Amino acid sequence: MNSSVEKSEPCQVCEFQENLNILREIYFFSVLPLEVLKVFAYLCTREKFKTGDYLFTQDDDDGQSFFFISGQAELIRTDNGVDETIRTYNAGDFSGALSLLSNTRRLFSLKAISPVICLVLSREKFIHTMDQHPQYMGSVFQAIIEKIHGWEEMFISERSAGCNACRRKIGVSLI
Amino acid sequence: MKKQTDSVVKRSLFSWVLPGNVHLQILLVALITLTVFARVLPLEMQKRIVNQAISLRRLDLLLYYCGIYLVSVLLASGLKYIIAMLQTRISENVLANMRKDLFAHILTLPLNFYRKAQPGLVVSALVTELTSAGAFVGLAISSPTINILTLLAFAGYLIYLNPLLAVISLGMYPVILIIIPILQKKANIANKKRVDSTRVISSLIGEAISGIHEIQGNGTFRMENGRFGKIVDQMRRIRIGWTLYKQGVKVTNNFFVSLGPFVIFILGGYLAMHGKLELGAMVAFLSAQEKLYDPWKELIDFYQVYMDAVVSYKRTMEYFDVPAEFAIAPEDRDAYQLEPSIDIKDLSYFTDTGIQLLDNINMNLKTGESLALVGFSGSGKSTLALCIGQLYKYSSGHVLLGNKEVSELTKKDMVYNMGFVSQSPFIFSGSIEENLMYSCAAMYDSEDSTAEVPSLDDKIAVLHQTGLFADVLRFGLNAILDKTQQEHLAGQVVRVRENFHREYGERLADYVEFFDENKYLRYSNVAENLFLGAPNDPAFSENQLPQNSYFLELLGKADLMMPLLSLGAELLKQTTDVLGNLAPDPVFFQQSPIVLEEWDDARLLVERLRRTKLMQLSDEDRHFLLKIALRFTPGRHTLVAIPGILKDLILEARALIRESIGKDMPSAFSFYQLSDYIYSQTIMNNILFGQTKTSNPKALDMIDQSIIQLIIEEDFLETIVDIGMQFQVGSKGDKLSGGQRQKLAIARTFLKSPRIMIMDEATSALDNKSQTRIQNLLETRWKGKSTLVSVVHRLDIIKNYDKVAVMKAGKIIETGAYHELIDKKGALYELVGGKK
Repeated sequence: MNSSVEKSEPCQVCEFQENLNILREIYFFSVLPLEVLKVFAYLCTREKFKTGDYLFTQDDDDGQSFFFISGQAELIRTDNGVDETIRTYNAGDFSGALSLLSNTRRLFSLKAISPVICLVLSREKFIHTMDQHPQYMGSVFQAIIEKIHGWEEMFISERSAGCNACRRKIGVSLI
Repeated sequence: MKKQTDSVVKRSLFSWVLPGNVHLQILLVALITLTVFARVLPLEMQKRIVNQAISLRRLDLLLYYCGIYLVSVLLASGLKYIIAMLQTRISENVLANMRKDLFAHILTLPLNFYRKAQPGLVVSALVTELTSAGAFVGLAISSPTINILTLLAFAGYLIYLNPLLAVISLGMYPVILIIIPILQKKANIANKKRVDSTRVISSLIGEAISGIHEIQGNGTFRMENGRFGKIVDQMRRIRIGWTLYKQGVKVTNNFFVSLGPFVIFILGGYLAMHGKLELGAMVAFLSAQEKLYDPWKELIDFYQVYMDAVVSYKRTMEYFDVPAEFAIAPEDRDAYQLEPSIDIKDLSYFTDTGIQLLDNINMNLKTGESLALVGFSGSGKSTLALCIGQLYKYSSGHVLLGNKEVSELTKKDMVYNMGFVSQSPFIFSGSIEENLMYSCAAMYDSEDSTAEVPSLDDKIAVLHQTGLFADVLRFGLNAILDKTQQEHLAGQVVRVRENFHREYGERLADYVEFFDENKYLRYSNVAENLFLGAPNDPAFSENQLPQNSYFLELLGKADLMMPLLSLGAELLKQTTDVLGNLAPDPVFFQQSPIVLEEWDDARLLVERLRRTKLMQLSDEDRHFLLKIALRFTPGRHTLVAIPGILKDLILEARALIRESIGKDMPSAFSFYQLSDYIYSQTIMNNILFGQTKTSNPKALDMIDQSIIQLIIEEDFLETIVDIGMQFQVGSKGDKLSGGQRQKLAIARTFLKSPRIMIMDEATSALDNKSQTRIQNLLETRWKGKSTLVSVVHRLDIIKNYDKVAVMKAGKIIETGAYHELIDKKGALYELVGGKK
């Protein structure tokens, strides 16, 4: 069952178009040609979360990606019952590229700290669509690799020189 | 064991002829004797008619002999029909038995066999290849008997008429007997090749169909067509050769037989001229000679059927002549009740190709203990589980279950003592309940069984244990009640609805769109919005509406016809624009008012819409557009938005339609009322008196929880679960998620509550909560009662196992309790992420 968020009248006309515009701005999707993007714009749904709702929870494999249309959510890591907030997601942020590609359990939870509206795409829909366009998987992987590489580069340049623990864990782009 | 290995594949083709058909075969021989007599009699009559009745001008004799002639001919024809009927009966009986026995044998073949065998090949063996063998068995006794007897009778009659002429005209048959087998031998060789090529082709087709998504995904149409074409061409050549040889046999036979009259004319004519042969005798001789042809031809045909049957039968049986690795059931005792201890000594396992997967494994588990097998993929942990579970036959060493060697136990012994949950369990089409009973079915299915059939409570208990309860409950809530059979439930549901609205209405308003007479409902379709009621008259059902003239007239009055047709056209155009280049897949149609089966029609209609105006479309096309528009649900089908003005028009039409129907045909509809059950909606929507707006699992869970509470209060939770258990899971369980399939597989094993449980990564597709729930259950409910061997991929759930065995390259490199091994800082410690 899918749902979309009720909107005021004039904007309804362009929900599909709006989704398409959003996807074209996301690094992961922007590498795909328009015909594939249209399918994703059609298949993704808008979901509404109340403050305090979890978008996903640690250890679950929900298999979804989220684009934040509005609202804020906190990324939380729980160890031995203690929550630690990692960072905040805001409107315009995207998360979940790896979840779309393969079964992986979440290492974090994501919790709405204000009413959130997200564009959600499930792994099932992603895989079924890409199965029909296998020639574009290369571009998708390229986008992910670049992202991981960029992430690591930024981490190396921003980390504090004295943090030994950080230094030992450098090298995710070498996997 | 003997019973199985000596079974069907070792039987000769002739062994099928008599058993079970003795009476029919005896009856056949008796009828045949009568037929032969009825066949020869007309010849003698022929002679007497010419020699006595005609030449003596005796009308009475003419009538008398003609009468006998007619009766013989009628009798011969009638008997022939009855004989054919009996032959068919024997053929079909035997064919059915061959199929049943071979299928039963095929089910027992070792799993290894199926690595190579394609399903298509098994299908063609069972369905096609055995038919010629069946046909042969029907003919095996009757055909040679009747034809040889007839031949001998005719030959005897010929000798009686004129020995010299007879010997000369019969002289050509031995020549035929020499030539035909030579040709037939070549036909046989061709036939063998044909059977083999059929086998290759069916395996290729089977592969193409199972891998169709890869073919379409990779666009390898040319390659696949090329492969198929090559084999089809080869088959064509073989078939042409085969048919030519077969026809060669027929033509040669015809030629020699046709020479018969030639000899009679030349020699008989000469003898008649010299008064050494009566004219009547020559006429009779000619007819008898001609009649020889029929039984002879039938004999040759029979010979060919026999040859074909031998080839197909032998080829088929040889293919499946693989001994079953284990006996199905003990012959002289009941199934063992095994002491559930496991002792493994020097166990090794080699594949057919000689690769060693298990290397000298030693391990033991006492009754009620649990063992976790861990290690990287390919370390042999699944193979070990399969060997313990008797699914693989180990090459050397011992696996003892309660001191009994597993390789010597029968399948029945295993079934009674062990439950096996595999990594990707297979779910059969049927209901949830049927699948739930699948594991214990073999226990109470046999005649001598004393096992009790699980009760509804047992089933509900395992649904709870495996976390499938909520899913089944949701299936039940999403069912539509049958007015004729389940009317008594309607009242209860309405009471739940009242309580729901009183207690949860406001709290859940964000997630549910309640039915409201004065609002346009975004999560109901256009048809529901127009009526806000359930049709009692089938003419108003959703499929019939586009053709219902009364309804169409109302649409016209409400000025809705054109807007709805345009909406339908817009939906089709947009959907083909987005999905037009994709191979149809159900996933793409979940958010569309078009269903997968209509997709081809929809695309053709879009083509027509490019050339034709809406008003000029055929009635059929307009009905199609209207049907799509009436199904349109703006909240779910977001590709097209519903214009505000159309919503207003529909709201106005709703009032008009309800008023008109209320006046003209009040019984045609039940309009939604808070106090009435709605039979066109699911139980869930009836309780909500609305539709859910969200697909957020956590919100859905909240709705479920509140409803469950109310259903328990009304005391009909079990009824709903029972309805949910009738949910049809689809072919291979494709209507269930991967997690649900796995839970169902675990549930069916729990329902059997076996002494020994083997779980091969049985919880890998489950979410964290379900996995923990099942793990807890294994550690509490089953602890000490069942001996558990668990192949585990995730290492965070193994802490409470009595033993952990770490495997690497087919060996157990470390065994012990979890904490012992961690403290030792060995292989397990490294595996869970610690560094030495």
